[in-house]
Amino acid sequence: MLQYSIKRILMAIPVVMFISFIVFYIIQLPPGDYVSSYSAQMMAAGDVMTQADMDQMRSNLGLDRPVYEQYAIWIKKIVLHGDFGYSFNYNKPVMEVVKQYMGLTLVVSFVTMAFQYLVAIPIGIYTAVKQYSAGDYFFSGISFLGMATPNFLLAIILMYLSYTWFGDPLLGLFSNEYVNAAWSMAKAVDLMKHLVIPVIVIGLASTADLIRVMRGQMLDELNKPNVITARAKGLSETKILFKYPTRAALNPIVSTFGWSLSSIFTGSTITAIVLNLPIQGPVMYKALLGQDMYLAGSWLLFMALLTVIGTLISDILLAWLDPKIRTEFRGN
Amino acid sequence: MKKTRIFLALLVTMAVIIAGCDSNNAAKPSTSKAPEPTKVAQETAVATSSGTASKEAPILASLVSEGKLPALDQRLPTASDVMVENVVDEIGQYGGDLNMAWNGPSDKWGVGMMNEEALFRFNKEGNAVEPNVAKGYEVNADSTVFTIHLREGMKWSDGVPFTADDVLFYWEHMLTKETFGKKIYDAYYSVDPVTGDKALAEVKKVDDHTFTVTHKYPSVQFLERVAIDNKWFFAPAHFHKTILPEFVGDAKTLEITKQWGYEDPKQFLVETGYYFWLHPQIPTLAAWVAKTDPNSDQFIMERNPYYWKTDSEGNQLPYLDRIVENKIQDPSQSLLGTLSGEFNFATMDTTNFTVLKENEKRADYRVIPWTQPTWSSAGIQLNQTTKDPNLNKLFQDIRFREAISIGVNRQEVSDIVTNGLAEPIQASVPEGVIGYQEGWAQHWAEFDTEKANKLLDEIGLTKRDKNNFRMFANGADLTLTVYESDPNKSTFLELLRKYFEDMGLKMNVKMVEGGALFDLKYANEVPIHTEVISVANVAFRPDTLVPLRIITPWFGHYGLYTQSGGKEGVKPEGDVAEILAIWDKIKASKSKDEINQLANEIYKLHMKNQWVIGYAGPTPMLLVASNKLHNVPSGLVWADEYRTVGHAHPSQFFLK
Repeated sequence: MLQYSIKRILMAIPVVMFISFIVFYIIQLPPGDYVSSYSAQMMAAGDVMTQADMDQMRSNLGLDRPVYEQYAIWIKKIVLHGDFGYSFNYNKPVMEVVKQYMGLTLVVSFVTMAFQYLVAIPIGIYTAVKQYSAGDYFFSGISFLGMATPNFLLAIILMYLSYTWFGDPLLGLFSNEYVNAAWSMAKAVDLMKHLVIPVIVIGLASTADLIRVMRGQMLDELNKPNVITARAKGLSETKILFKYPTRAALNPIVSTFGWSLSSIFTGSTITAIVLNLPIQGPVMYKALLGQDMYLAGSWLLFMALLTVIGTLISDILLAWLDPKIRTEFRGN
Repeated sequence: MKKTRIFLALLVTMAVIIAGCDSNNAAKPSTSKAPEPTKVAQETAVATSSGTASKEAPILASLVSEGKLPALDQRLPTASDVMVENVVDEIGQYGGDLNMAWNGPSDKWGVGMMNEEALFRFNKEGNAVEPNVAKGYEVNADSTVFTIHLREGMKWSDGVPFTADDVLFYWEHMLTKETFGKKIYDAYYSVDPVTGDKALAEVKKVDDHTFTVTHKYPSVQFLERVAIDNKWFFAPAHFHKTILPEFVGDAKTLEITKQWGYEDPKQFLVETGYYFWLHPQIPTLAAWVAKTDPNSDQFIMERNPYYWKTDSEGNQLPYLDRIVENKIQDPSQSLLGTLSGEFNFATMDTTNFTVLKENEKRADYRVIPWTQPTWSSAGIQLNQTTKDPNLNKLFQDIRFREAISIGVNRQEVSDIVTNGLAEPIQASVPEGVIGYQEGWAQHWAEFDTEKANKLLDEIGLTKRDKNNFRMFANGADLTLTVYESDPNKSTFLELLRKYFEDMGLKMNVKMVEGGALFDLKYANEVPIHTEVISVANVAFRPDTLVPLRIITPWFGHYGLYTQSGGKEGVKPEGDVAEILAIWDKIKASKSKDEINQLANEIYKLHMKNQWVIGYAGPTPMLLVASNKLHNVPSGLVWADEYRTVGHAHPSQFFLK
């Protein structure tokens, strides 16, 4: 087990290195660079940069060097000083920008996740136990709709309803007066109010997905011999339900938990833009669009790293949970 | 049990992480105290009618009584030098926030222009300048020596006196040394009418409140050019002395750069020397001064206690306490926020005109249209120097331009693209804007497919390929490629393609990102682009109509030719060369009448050639103001030259 874990961890290192280079290369692929996107912005605002200004800026920022050289400098700083470079858009070190948005990103992600599990698991169990009942059809219908509706569209619909009913589309995570205010009870309540739409919108698709997985797993488990034995022994139905099939059905959900690691830290992107949420997704989107490459690069690298770690965790979890897998690698 | 414990431990860790990140967030506003949202509501009316009441905002009055701020008369310039700002409708009252939507620091001018104080600013009509930061000026008979007077007792937002030394410092240590990434502005050069020799002006201090600008050759439009090129002909010397390498040494500047969180000292000096209004640390002369980090979710500017303007009753401006710029990620959020009353002031184009009008009563705001000096709201520019020789010849053929102008049904373009708000006219100077020509709007504007096809046949585009598209006479493929970066233009381009195809012309649209389009433009790779011309007066700002540098798509690399002094680019010929010749005459001209007459010649050449073709007339700019917000003027001209919304003089806006 330990050997297996160590082996997997060692294997992850070259993967991450390789990804980091690919990431850096891909960011450089689109035509233009930060300077051209910056000058276009300036020009839209009625400010003109000459060719000389642009060349000057390129050399100041080191953008006139070849890609591999820029990459080497960047990666060297990360490894030696933990310095992820500098965000041109924000005029700040990359880590500062990441930190600025991390708090609220985690709040939104965790609340959304709690919503997903708290809604999906009970409904999944209910629809399996009462298979083909009216309630099953209702929830199954809703979950198919949820899986099929694009998040951002739902966001727009909910904002529209919120505006027509309450006169407030509930943009962002705070009302204007609370954005820069210190934390208080009123601010927390305001945040809760603003969290309703994002949580439903971001959470709905995976909730729907989870309901389907849970329902399928439960249906498999409900007719297993251990359930029948328990029933024959005279245990109450509730006890049987929670003691055997539910526990077994949770396994796949737990083992895929690691995969959602990267989405927890980035939050959603398009939905966040539509809803004006101050979280990581839109920041990264803007960085990519404006060719703010160290910010974008650090983000992609970070996401890749989290995906690799997530897979690693899932693998190890699986190996720990499932004896069959354990024997397989022992055989290796 | 064990699992519960692990779960709890996880929860605690998460809580710590979240709390840690938030404290970072909260620590951002560098100098300001945490704003108290409830306070604003309390400090409403101050009795101004009685005359005995305080002439300053309650916030400031209480600071004065606490001894934290000098009394009002010590903060304002000497009585005779105070600038009296005329209010639009009525004398206002103090208090309240202007809540606006903002795209963030990438839109520096979005907050800059409304809060800008120029040495000289344009008057309401936009045809002359009037003193602003300056008290007044004198000029000698041949327009070579300008004596400019400043206001005695005027102060920076930190209370330090503003004097001629601040002008001289800016000139000697910043502008002529090019510390903030800009070349010395063209306005400071005068031109010898005979030899074409260019000479840099001399700036001298006379006394603490007077300085002179001396040109070698007459420079009739000097003040207007400065009002556009270099609004701030001054900088807080006491601040910049603490960061410029000339005073503190390169090593120290680098250290300060890092302290401010910047990487590169040059970029740091651009940010502080040019985009100064975004930084709370830098004193300004503006009505509101920055209080928070512009990168946070809300950028707040608070009233400048040393602001040097009053209303006609002597109440210190601005009336509004704060400007609050709320970060948005998509333009539609500006609209939504306006509808819900979250923002009490917004500026928008006419795309959402109907939605805005529909909700005017419900959301309690009013829509105020301003004229834009744009030539059209939908149109194309044909690059006269495009690389492909066949296309180049075609674009330079006046018959081709006429054909693609009359081959499009303008009424339909107007109906579909602008909801019928725009007139179905040619790209032309709108009535009421300098350069207006009788009949220009109707020039080649009547829809006539038959004539368009006849013209195309005459040019020699008679051969057709297998898809029945016209080819060049030599059998080469003819494709009109339009480069575009704005997805909102797709309706118009789709419509245009239909009409072009009806004429047998193959049209292709390439969507590219803004930065890439900019590069393509520089490389002369853009044959057709949809940019519209917007110019308040060609004599003040020639960039879009006279090929002086690479900037406007229609003249492509003609601009590079002028810019490089003939070393690179394409040599202008015919009417384009004529425009450049007229421009040289304008620069060397000795009277305003002569300049106006010459400028008119430039407009006439544009009318004759129509390098820029418009398919729908200009639409207004919309100011959306809450009904509680007063003194917002209507019917002004929205132009960059007049500093867009700054032209409304926001310091006299007030909430009631």
